[in-house]
Amino acid sequence: MSALLQRRKPAAPDTASAAPSAAAPDRGRAPNRKRRETLAAYGFLAPWFVGLAFITIGPMAASLYFSFTDYSLIGDPRWVGLENYERMLTDERLHNSLQVTFTYVFVSVPLQLGMALALAMVLDRGVRGLPIYRSVYYLPSLLGGSVAIAILWRQIFGADGLINQVLGFFGIQGEGWVSHPDYALGTLIVLNVWTFGAPMVIFLAGLRQIPAMYYEAASVDGAGPARRFLMITVPLLTPIIFFNLVLQMINAFQTFTQAFIVSGGTGGPTDSTLFYTLYLYQRGFGAFDMGYASAMAWLLLMIIGGFTAVNFLASKYWVFYGD
Amino acid sequence: MRADSGSGRPPTRRRTRALSLTAGLAAVVMAATACGAAEEDGPVELRFSWWGADDRHSTTQQVIDRFEAQHPDITIVGDYTDWASYWDKLATSTAAGDAPDIITQEERYLREYADRGALVDLKEYGEQLDLSGVDPLVAESGNLDDATYGIATGVNAYAILADPQAFEEAGVEMPDDSTWTWDDYVDIAAEISEKSGGDIVGTQSMGYNESGFAIFARQRGESLYNDDGSLGFTKETLQEWFEYSLELSETGGSPSAAESVEIEAGGPDQSVISTNSGAMAHFWTNQLGAISATSGRDVRLLRYPGESEHDRTGMYFKPAMFYSISADSEHPEEAAMFVDFLLNDPEAAELILADRGLPANVNVRSSILDALPEADARSAVFLADIEGTIVDGNPPPPIGAGQVVEIIKRVNDDVMFGNITPAEAADRFISEVEEATGSV
Repeated sequence: MSALLQRRKPAAPDTASAAPSAAAPDRGRAPNRKRRETLAAYGFLAPWFVGLAFITIGPMAASLYFSFTDYSLIGDPRWVGLENYERMLTDERLHNSLQVTFTYVFVSVPLQLGMALALAMVLDRGVRGLPIYRSVYYLPSLLGGSVAIAILWRQIFGADGLINQVLGFFGIQGEGWVSHPDYALGTLIVLNVWTFGAPMVIFLAGLRQIPAMYYEAASVDGAGPARRFLMITVPLLTPIIFFNLVLQMINAFQTFTQAFIVSGGTGGPTDSTLFYTLYLYQRGFGAFDMGYASAMAWLLLMIIGGFTAVNFLASKYWVFYGD
Repeated sequence: MRADSGSGRPPTRRRTRALSLTAGLAAVVMAATACGAAEEDGPVELRFSWWGADDRHSTTQQVIDRFEAQHPDITIVGDYTDWASYWDKLATSTAAGDAPDIITQEERYLREYADRGALVDLKEYGEQLDLSGVDPLVAESGNLDDATYGIATGVNAYAILADPQAFEEAGVEMPDDSTWTWDDYVDIAAEISEKSGGDIVGTQSMGYNESGFAIFARQRGESLYNDDGSLGFTKETLQEWFEYSLELSETGGSPSAAESVEIEAGGPDQSVISTNSGAMAHFWTNQLGAISATSGRDVRLLRYPGESEHDRTGMYFKPAMFYSISADSEHPEEAAMFVDFLLNDPEAAELILADRGLPANVNVRSSILDALPEADARSAVFLADIEGTIVDGNPPPPIGAGQVVEIIKRVNDDVMFGNITPAEAADRFISEVEEATGSV
C-alpha cells in the first residue's frame, strides 16, 4: 500500500507541470470518471445486493415476524406476541435438543481442531507428495456434510455394518452404533471430527508462515520438540486457531444433514441425536408450527451470536497477532 | 454526417421499425391468446405424488403410461418417495405453493391439509370424477364438513403377517388366530426366538404404530380417538399395551431396542419377514403383496391377538389411502380425470390390484378378484373373512394426528431402552398427543 502511494505522489506534479492546459478539462472529468467507476462497482455488486435483499434480509425479516405469530405454513399467520418464546421455556424436547447440540459442539470442535493441527504438523514436516496427502485429507471436508456420506455412515455404523464386521473378526460383539442412544451422538461426533480437512489446510498455511529461524534458534538454546511446539508454534498460530475455532463452532451449531439422514429425520433413538436444527425442522415442517420454528431460529441466532462474541472478547487474552 | 445521409432513409427505416414493432406486438398478443386456448385442449402436465416401496413405483408408472395413451394431451409426472420423507416433502412443497396436482393422502394427514384449504372438494368435479361406485363402508371417509377432500383408494385392515416357513424352522406351531390372546402372542414370539437359537426372531416390535393400539383399545370397548377428536382410551389400557411391548423385548420375542430402531427405519422392505429373519410382524393387509414378494415366502395373515379375549373385537377397516387434488392445481379438471381413471377404470385396476388396498370401487373390486396374485388374493379372502366380526368403524382422526406417528415411535423407543416405565410412557403419550391434536 505504501509503495503505491509513493509511486503515485511524484507522478502527480509531473503531469501538472508538463501539461497545465490539459489539467483543466482533466479536473472536470475526474469526478465524472470516479462516479462512473462507482456506478460500475454498484453494477457489478448488484447481483449480490439482490441476493442479500431477497435471499437473506427478506426471509430474515419474514421469519422475525413469523416468530411472533401462530403460522401453520398452509394458512395465514396469526399474531400471538411472545407466546412462542414463552413456550420455549417449558418445552422439554427443546431443552434436550439444546443439550445434544451443546454436547456436540463442545466435544467435536476441540477434537476436530486438535486432529487438524496434528495432521497439519505432520504434513508440514515436508512429506513427499504433499499435495496428494493434502487433497486426500481435505476430501472428507468436501463430502462430510453431504447426504451420500451420511447414508454411507449409517451403513458402516449399522448393526451389521462394516465396523461391527471388523470388530466381529476380533471376537467383539459390536452395538448398533447409530441405533443405540448411548452411542448415536458419539457416532455423529466422529463423523464431524473426520471432516478435519478444511481447518487442516488453514493450519498448514499458518504453519508455513512461521519462520524456520525461530525453531533453529530455539534448538540451539536446547529447546525440545514439546517446548518448541508450546513456545513457538502455538503462540504464532493463535490467530489461525482462533479463526478455525469461530468458524467450526458456528458450523457445528448449524449441523443438520448428518443428524437428519442418520436418524431418518427423527432425531432418535430416544431423541439422542435431536439436534437443535433438526427439532426446528420437525416443528416447522412436521408439526406445521412455523411460528414456533421461526422463534427457535432466532434463539439459535442469538446463541451463535453470543458464543461468537464471547470468543472475540476472550481472544484479547490469548490470541497473539505478532506486532 | 448522420443527418445528411439520413435525410432519405430514416423515414423508411423508422417505418419498418414501427411496422416490426406492431407485428411483434401482434405476435405477442396472438401467442397470448393461443396460450389461453392451449390451456383448454393443449398439452397439460400434471404431477402425481405417492409414497411406497419399489414395487409400487414401477406399477404406478405403468398405470400412468396407460392413462397417457388414452389422453395424449395430458402428461403425468410421478413424484414418489418413501413414507417418512413423503410428508416432509409434501409439507414443504405445499407451503411453497408448488404442491403436486394429484396427491396421495392418508387419514392422519388428510384433514390437516383439507382444513387449511390446500385441497379441492372433489364433488365439484362430478363431471370428470364419478364417485358413485365407491364402497359405502369408506365412501365418506375422506369428508370434512360435507366436502369430499379425499376419495378412498381401497380398503385395508391392520393385521399380523406370519411366515409359516419361519414357524416351521423354529419348530413352533402356527397359532389359531380366532382364539389367541395377547399372552399367547408374547409366549409364542419368545418360544420362536428361543427354539431357533436366535436365528429367527419371534416378532417385529409391536409398539411403533398406533394403529395396532387402536385395535387393542377397541377390544376393551375404548378407542384411540373419540368422535370429537379427543382421546378415547384410559391410561391403564395404554400402559398395558407398552407393558406387552416391553415384555416382548425382554423375553427376546422381539429384537433388541437398538435392532428395532434399525428395522423400523428400513420400512416394509427391511421388515423381519421381508429379510426372512423373523416369524411375525404388524402391517396393513395391502402390504402383504410387496412383503411376500421381497421375502419369497408364502406369508399369511393372522387376526390380531385378543379378538375373542374381551366382549368385542377390535379390528377395523380403514381406507388405505386417499386420492386428493391440490387447491393450487392449474388443471383440476384434468387432475379429476386422472383420479377417475385410477379409481374406476379396469385398465388401471388390473395393474394396481390390491396394492392401494382392496379397490374401493366395488365393481372394479369384483372384476379383479380373479386376477389377483396369490398373496393379494389371500388378503382379499382375509378381509372378507373378518368383515363379519368387525363391530364398527373408527371416527376420523383429528387434525394433528400425523404427529402421532412420530410420537409413538419415540415413546416406544424410550420404553424399550428402559428410559421410562410403561406407566410413564402412557402419561407422556397422552400429554404429547393431546398437545399435538389440540384436545388439551
